[in-house]
Amino acid sequence: MLLEINHIQKSFDNLAVLKDVSLKVNSGDVITILGRSGSGKTTLLRCLNFLERADKGDMLFDGTHYDLHAAPKSQIAALRKKTGFVFQDYNLFINKTALKNVTEGLIAGHGMKRAEAEDIGMEMLRRVGMAEKRDSYPHELSGGQQQRVAIARAMAANPRIIFFDEPTSALDPQLVGEVLAVMRSLAEGGMTMMVVTHEMNFARNVSTRTVLMHEGEIAEEAPPSEFFTHPRSEAARRFLSLEGK
Amino acid sequence: MTRAERVWQLLTTSFSQILIPGLEVTIPLTVISFVFGLIIALLTALVQVAHIKGLRSLARFYVWIFRGTPMLVQLYIVFYGLPKMGLILDAIPSALIVFSLNTGAYASETMRAAIEAVPKGQMEAGLCAGMSYTDVMFRLILPQALRTAFPPLSNTLIGLVKDTSLAANITVTEMFLAAQRIAARTYEPFVLYCEVGVLYLLICTVLTRLQRICEKKLERRGPRAA
Repeated sequence: MLLEINHIQKSFDNLAVLKDVSLKVNSGDVITILGRSGSGKTTLLRCLNFLERADKGDMLFDGTHYDLHAAPKSQIAALRKKTGFVFQDYNLFINKTALKNVTEGLIAGHGMKRAEAEDIGMEMLRRVGMAEKRDSYPHELSGGQQQRVAIARAMAANPRIIFFDEPTSALDPQLVGEVLAVMRSLAEGGMTMMVVTHEMNFARNVSTRTVLMHEGEIAEEAPPSEFFTHPRSEAARRFLSLEGK
Repeated sequence: MTRAERVWQLLTTSFSQILIPGLEVTIPLTVISFVFGLIIALLTALVQVAHIKGLRSLARFYVWIFRGTPMLVQLYIVFYGLPKMGLILDAIPSALIVFSLNTGAYASETMRAAIEAVPKGQMEAGLCAGMSYTDVMFRLILPQALRTAFPPLSNTLIGLVKDTSLAANITVTEMFLAAQRIAARTYEPFVLYCEVGVLYLLICTVLTRLQRICEKKLERRGPRAA
């Protein structure tokens, strides 16, 4: 087991966004987290990387125990070096080229030599098909290209897991495919991934397990073959009928 | 000698008498105060955005005091007032302290706003890439913020050039006091004050040109944040 999340709870003001969520992730799993907006799926991912502080809960990740509410800074820093995060709106470093976006964390965060970081950086850019754009700044790239660089950045430090927070939701429809293709090849390469998404086809065809969140709780968790054909919960049936399948 | 000839002669002889204090006092006073001011401003802005508790209130207090009182009053307090409290400072150090602290207060608000204008996702992405808060701040956020802050900071610098004339009130012989003395001696206030005004205008014109060149250079490296 790579990641075990236990009883995570989180409220914003008086709104309970995560009520009591527990989840297990094995190495190599590709878990898609579905659910309507406001169901807590993004908050769940953000709590796992301490971008939000949970009110309660703990997790076991790669052999280390973390208190999701009270983990010390040093532990959080160490955790982030073993995880990658891909944001909905890419968040590429505005003032850095594509290559530097990938190498910056390796150099400043992981203490790597520039030459070594650049070798890795180029390799990552090649894998997402962005090698020839190494010297382009984010504003010179399309949304799909930016997100591919962001994925290269998330992969660079060889993380144990990558979290994807709606990675295609900000993209023009014709650019979604190139990003999903990169994610698919990552999954096929054995990367452990947790993907918050609205892409039903990706969930159905790529993920090993589908989690449906509903009002801050996990309403259903099943392999996609079951989830999409025989949803057990009322919430899942309603969600699937609204999503048009 | 006609009146025109006399004025012309006055202008030519007084020119160097005003320009030299300009080069020796006004410009160094401006540059040194601005540099110290920027350092103070950066620290003041950083303790605020980093939410360092005690220091944050101290920073707010400092900005409040220095933005809320006239610079002339501050100069008088430091130069004429502090000796009564047992702290005697020469005129130029007094002016340097007041100008630096004043610039620091104004520029810190510019920097704070510029840092806050950098999208929140930049910090999050940096942290997720394995960097520390400090690394992200210095390697990613501040360079972006500097670009946003550059035009208003240039404004502050140009303002400071002119504000150094206030130091005349505490016996610092900068351009304005030099002009004032010649005016008193020659009874030609109109000529002398216009002349010194033109000299200030010249310095500010040069700075404005420099600002435009620097902005063009910054522009080439992508758009500003926000």
